[in-house]
Amino acid sequence: MTKPVVNVTNAQKVFGKKSENQFKALDNVSFAIEEGEFVGIMGPSGAGKTTLLNVVSTLDKATSGKIEIAGQDITDMKQNELADFRSEQLGFIFQDFNLLENLTVYENIALPLSLQGFSSRKIKPLVIQVAEKLGIKSVLQKYPVTISGGQKQRAAAARALVHEPAIILADEPTGALDSKNAHSLMKTMEHLNQFHDVSIMLVTHDPLSASYCERILFIQDGNLYKEIKKTGDQQHFHQQILNVLAELTSIQSL
Amino acid sequence: MLVKLLSGSMKKMWKDYLVLLFGLTISIAIFYMFETLAQNQAFLEANALIASIVFVFHVGTFILALVTIFYIFYATSFILSLRQKELGMYMTLGAKKGKVTQMMFLETLVIGIVSLIIGLVFGVGLSEGIGRLLMARLDFSGEGFHSLYPSSLVTTVLFYFVLFLLTAIVNAIRVSRKSVLELLHADQKTDTKTIKGWKTFLGTLFAIVLITVGYVAMINMGNLAQLGVIIAAATVTPGTYFFFMAMLPFLIKRIKAIRSINEKGLNSFTYAQLDFRVSQLTKVLGTVAMLIALGLGAMTAGLSFYHNTEIQSSMMHGYDIKVHQPTEDELAEMENWKFEERNLYSYRVTEDSVYFSKHDLQANPPVIKELGGNLEELSKEVRLTDDLTAPVYTDEETDNAESIPEQWQTALRTELMANFYLFGDRTLYILDQEKFEEINASTQTVLIGKVDNFADYTDTLAKIDERHHQLAIDYTGEDPTTIGSKYENYTTIKSLANGTIFMGLFLGVAFLMMMASVLMFKLLSSATADIERYQMLRKIGVRQAKLKKSIYKELFLVFLFPGLIGLVHVLIGMEMFSFILIEPYTKIWIPISLFLVIYGLYYWLTVKMYQRIVLPKD
Ligand SMILES: Nc1ncnc2c1ncn2[C@@H]1O[C@H](COP(=O)(O)OP(=O)(O)OP(=O)(O)O)[C@@H](O)[C@H]1O
Ligand SMILES: [Mg+2]
Repeated sequence: MTKPVVNVTNAQKVFGKKSENQFKALDNVSFAIEEGEFVGIMGPSGAGKTTLLNVVSTLDKATSGKIEIAGQDITDMKQNELADFRSEQLGFIFQDFNLLENLTVYENIALPLSLQGFSSRKIKPLVIQVAEKLGIKSVLQKYPVTISGGQKQRAAAARALVHEPAIILADEPTGALDSKNAHSLMKTMEHLNQFHDVSIMLVTHDPLSASYCERILFIQDGNLYKEIKKTGDQQHFHQQILNVLAELTSIQSL
Repeated sequence: MLVKLLSGSMKKMWKDYLVLLFGLTISIAIFYMFETLAQNQAFLEANALIASIVFVFHVGTFILALVTIFYIFYATSFILSLRQKELGMYMTLGAKKGKVTQMMFLETLVIGIVSLIIGLVFGVGLSEGIGRLLMARLDFSGEGFHSLYPSSLVTTVLFYFVLFLLTAIVNAIRVSRKSVLELLHADQKTDTKTIKGWKTFLGTLFAIVLITVGYVAMINMGNLAQLGVIIAAATVTPGTYFFFMAMLPFLIKRIKAIRSINEKGLNSFTYAQLDFRVSQLTKVLGTVAMLIALGLGAMTAGLSFYHNTEIQSSMMHGYDIKVHQPTEDELAEMENWKFEERNLYSYRVTEDSVYFSKHDLQANPPVIKELGGNLEELSKEVRLTDDLTAPVYTDEETDNAESIPEQWQTALRTELMANFYLFGDRTLYILDQEKFEEINASTQTVLIGKVDNFADYTDTLAKIDERHHQLAIDYTGEDPTTIGSKYENYTTIKSLANGTIFMGLFLGVAFLMMMASVLMFKLLSSATADIERYQMLRKIGVRQAKLKKSIYKELFLVFLFPGLIGLVHVLIGMEMFSFILIEPYTKIWIPISLFLVIYGLYYWLTVKMYQRIVLPKD
């Protein structure tokens, strides 16, 4: 029996102060991700996907509820503990690339390792390795502004992967990629998940990307709407996802 | 429509514009402050100890103008960096390039003119405030000093108007040269240049040659005179900028290239912060170094004049304290003073003569100051020997007695103050004990002494001199204009030096203020971009303490380099004054340590403020 790497119980997120008109972006969401699982989050724009990811990733505090990652309750952690936790246990790929534009791609990828005190001798092979895997070895010495959007996204992915975190949190990593690049990034994630036991939580709009996952959670207006599991092959799963999405749109247009 | 859009987004970025306005305003105010002195010839000539002071101020104007040009070009390029993304956006929506270029031109010019108006008002206020403050502190009447000086106003307006016109043109050209895409992505573009070794080498060599020539000129200021000032200004200023342009990018690149340093913790980010806009940074650091050199230099020179008044007043006087017929009160007071030497001599005064006891003089022979040829050996101290063998000496031409040896005459007249002011035209005698006792008058004493710190006792010495004047009235029937004490000499020199000290401190404060504002501008203008970067770092899990440390480190380097160069300029530059001051380096540690403390505090304050602005809140 595997233990959950992420365990969310009754998470609520309310934006806006008490006096103002408040907005409930997450409403009593509960779910768990087992160690080594590849889970997708889908739902219409504004459903609360990014909010959920931010809450799980400790970037934002849930208004109420309990969130455990790798067995640790993060809801009552101190700021510094959270920072250390993020740098060691989590890897991020953000919706916007979030590369530091004043660092080269190499330096961007190396940063999480430097922060953990790796010696530069150990850093280099790790960076090269992950860059090769993602096909961005040739742009390592360039600055982010001079590389393509897809390369940027892969560089951001490389930065999230390089320190082999317990879980990777990705917010639409394929959003800016063409289908070929999207495919290779998803392949890499799948590979990491299958052969390196990295758990992944992936937010996406793209059904094809989502079909790489093992399980999909659909959210709608801050609520967990449905959950589907991959039972057959990827093709079949893709079709399943499309069906649920169609379901969702028909509800919305009501 | 475009105007409306622009002014709308100006409102959005009002903080950035405030920063810009602040930077420009201070520069204008300081330039004006400098010109209130520089153009007020009558005031300069009446109040400076330096003969060619007007000329010195002309050169000062030249240096300040040069520094200002660098600074203003840097500061106005900030407008471009604020705007270009937006301008690019308008162009993607169909705005014409000519229109956008024109907007940039107008905006730069308008901001320039607005800051010119505010800056002038501020400058007048600042001159008035600092001027009055210093005058009060220095007991300096400052007649002829005007904080509102029309010709300085005109100069400042003309200078800045032309400068803003130029920068507006440059900004417009820059916009017109860029493609839409370049404009859109301009804020992400690094200007980290690839540096060629030989370029760095040549640049550094050139900088070092220029600065060395300048230093040699400053050291030989006495011989080169005005030419020396011109050479020094024309070499050290560009040399400093060259030094930063060549060395800084090279140094940072070098550090970044050492992987074991660069890949340690946040170092790669910290150095990248410096590297990212390195050519702008070199302009800032060059400007700051020059302003430190000018400000600290002016202040140190002013204070050096101040501290040299004591030395200068000792030139003629071997003893600090000279008291004729000390009263009980005075003696009691002097008990607390720290004397290094203290002698008492007896004398008797009659209707037409003053008699000194040879016995006393021989028991404690005094020192005198002998005048040498040049400035360095001006005041050689000589201890007299007891070579008085004859029973009677006099300073009158007579066959009956030997005349007082010249050195002893100096001793009596200057050190013992047995001078014309006090005793009129009485004849001086030195008598042996037997003859001295025969004189029918009461015995008086004169106390002379050296103390540890002359300036501590000036209050009492002033009172003693008042009594000396009374004494002179008793002996001669009239109040002499001078009395011949060291204290009197000291106050005279001090009042002469006050004008120079005033100028030094006035300019010192002005330049250091501008230095502070340039540094502040550098930081605040990069704050917007930095906020995002620090937020990003926080997201990937960098502890707050590490971010703070990174800011400490980054700013330390920003403060360190210009501080060092400026300090070296000042230390060597003070040699310039050796042709007019006896010891230009006297107590130089006072202004220097004062500067270091203030600079250090300013560094700390800047770091704290910057951390508050850019670090994500917990
Ligand atoms: N800081 C905030 N303050 C107030 N409301 C917010 C805030 N952040 C998000 N929201 C609101 O919460 C809801 C969920 O936002 P969220 O960013 O999670 O959507 P999403 O599912 O990621 O959408 P998309 O697919 O477009 O990225 C939205 O209605 C949004 O307007
Ligand atoms: Mg989102």
